[in-house]
Amino acid sequence: MKKASKKIILLGHFGVGKSSLIRQFVENTFTSDYKVTIGVHILKKEVEISPDETISLIIWDLEGYDDIKKTRASYLLGTHGFIYVFDVTRPATFENLENDITYLTNQYANTPLKVVGNKVDLVTKTYLKENKDMFGVAPDFFTSAKTGDKVDDMFIALAKELVK
Amino acid sequence: MMLETYREIYFHPRTQFITIDTSGNVLESDDILFKLKKGDDISSVSLFFKGLSAYFDVDEENDIKFTCIHLENNDRQEYTCDIEFKTFAGAQPTLIIIHDFSEHYKYYQEVAQSRNESVINSQILELKNKYLKEKEDFKNTFIANFSHELRNPLTGVTAFCSVLQKTDMTPEQQDYVEVIKSSADHLRNMIGDILEVSKIEVGKLSLHEELFDFHELIDMLEFTYSVKAKQKNIEFEIDFDEKIPRYIESDKTRIKQILENLIENALKFTSSGKITVLIKENQRRARKVNLSISVQDTGIGIPDEKLVLIFNSFTQLNNSRKFVGTGLGLSIVKGLVELMDGKITVESKVKEGSTFKININLRYPINQEATYLETKSDVERKNYLSKEKYNILLAEDSELAQMAVLKILAQEGNFFLDIITNGEDVIESVIHNEYDMILMDIRMPGTHGDELTKMIRSLPVQNCKTIPILALTANLYDADKKRYKKMGMNDIIEKPFDESTLLKKIYKHLK
Repeated sequence: MKKASKKIILLGHFGVGKSSLIRQFVENTFTSDYKVTIGVHILKKEVEISPDETISLIIWDLEGYDDIKKTRASYLLGTHGFIYVFDVTRPATFENLENDITYLTNQYANTPLKVVGNKVDLVTKTYLKENKDMFGVAPDFFTSAKTGDKVDDMFIALAKELVK
Repeated sequence: MMLETYREIYFHPRTQFITIDTSGNVLESDDILFKLKKGDDISSVSLFFKGLSAYFDVDEENDIKFTCIHLENNDRQEYTCDIEFKTFAGAQPTLIIIHDFSEHYKYYQEVAQSRNESVINSQILELKNKYLKEKEDFKNTFIANFSHELRNPLTGVTAFCSVLQKTDMTPEQQDYVEVIKSSADHLRNMIGDILEVSKIEVGKLSLHEELFDFHELIDMLEFTYSVKAKQKNIEFEIDFDEKIPRYIESDKTRIKQILENLIENALKFTSSGKITVLIKENQRRARKVNLSISVQDTGIGIPDEKLVLIFNSFTQLNNSRKFVGTGLGLSIVKGLVELMDGKITVESKVKEGSTFKININLRYPINQEATYLETKSDVERKNYLSKEKYNILLAEDSELAQMAVLKILAQEGNFFLDIITNGEDVIESVIHNEYDMILMDIRMPGTHGDELTKMIRSLPVQNCKTIPILALTANLYDADKKRYKKMGMNDIIEKPFDESTLLKKIYKHLK
């Protein structure tokens, strides 16, 4: 069986649920208490992407910033994939989405990226449908770290792209 | 000598030095934080090092610094560290320096936690306020539009009741018409109340100051409500301080409305006893007189815990449906009193009664003797008209409104009436006919009435600049009224109108 190890990074404003998404994915747990992440926490999860291939995701949970350019460059060294998370309920977290995504795709052109709108449990499907243009960029996934909706799908989709 | 001893006691190094080979295996370690054996995989200290594996066999000078990395030792003790990763040229082993700054970062964590929480909470609050405002605006716009739609058909009912009353009818039929008319009036008042509250809540209600006889207003109220109170077998008294200036400069309609709503409220909830209205002058300063007004009843009273709710919109404390109404009267009173920079309070005891108290400043002309009011009514003006017959153009698409105007004017016998139902044809008709007045609906198919007025005013045709143009409309927000004036309209006839309102306005503007 093939087994590779890949580093992925979660980026985005503070309070959008990056740590919660990871906790839901790695430990299947959720807490609504907000605990700020400072610096970086690193977790691992083995993901089976095919019957004969497993990938070990080294997930870097980064402190949230309101400006992506403030992210410490050393953190991004050797990154295989990005997940950019925003909160669908707080416009401040997606006001610069378009610019941030352009910046990332310019700086890391060959690194796979998933754009994720989190906290969908707090809004209705109609809200998302009617406001999809509001985000500036069409998200790859709408997730809920609380209910687990689309969380595994999102990580696995990225993992599959990393071994292409 | 002692320095060395002190160092041994108090110096606790928090920095670990590790060297690794090109595969990431430990060569040497001083084990200050993490216990390592020679040959251990450096990734066993933390997954963090897995991400750096590409740099393990680099044969050049590199110094990469990482801050605030969370690590865990074999005893599951957590450290928050800064890490330096140094590679060298000439096959020298890579050096890793781990600085434990857990205490410092613990403090930073607390600061960041409270800063982020406060930012997030304020963003959420801002959003909640925005949603609430949008909801409120939607409600008020809905109410305004809905009231408008209700007013239009009411015009037909009210106007035709007036017309019908002048036809040959048996006394029984006349009674029926009277019932229809009073029901329509009641409905119109309720719609008016709803519209009024929505205007107050969005701050679109403004006051229109005029000079009026305050004493006369009070006499009129005393007369009206004495009759109403008598019908309910209760006493009614107005104790009025005659020192109060006779002439006041304020919004007469709104002052009347405040007093009427309070007295109506007292009447509604009092089945026996007395209603007393006390109007007292407190002081005068800078052309303003300060008044205390109270309306006291011996009605059902209000429980203490409900007193705070009494001025809310759509609140009627007694839900038994014994007392009809929209529950907006007191909310309107409070809104109006506050708009006039006044204050309203209420005191009450269950089963004993309630007292509503207002404190308000009203402007008055210093020289009361030299003040007089023009009393000639507009309808009386018809005796001074210069022509026998007047040509009036009615631009109106509602058939009900057309018939109402036609019937009312036909009875007067002073008018020829042209009716046009489409905005597009109005200009054509104005060019080819000499009208003495235009009655203009606002919401018409084609061009709206206010736009048409602007076009008419700019036509190079004699009298187009001066011909009176009166708006017929149920759009009664101040912004609308201002726009009509700006477009060149002389006056507004509010829908629903009755015979006397329509004639009063028409005669006022005919020469």
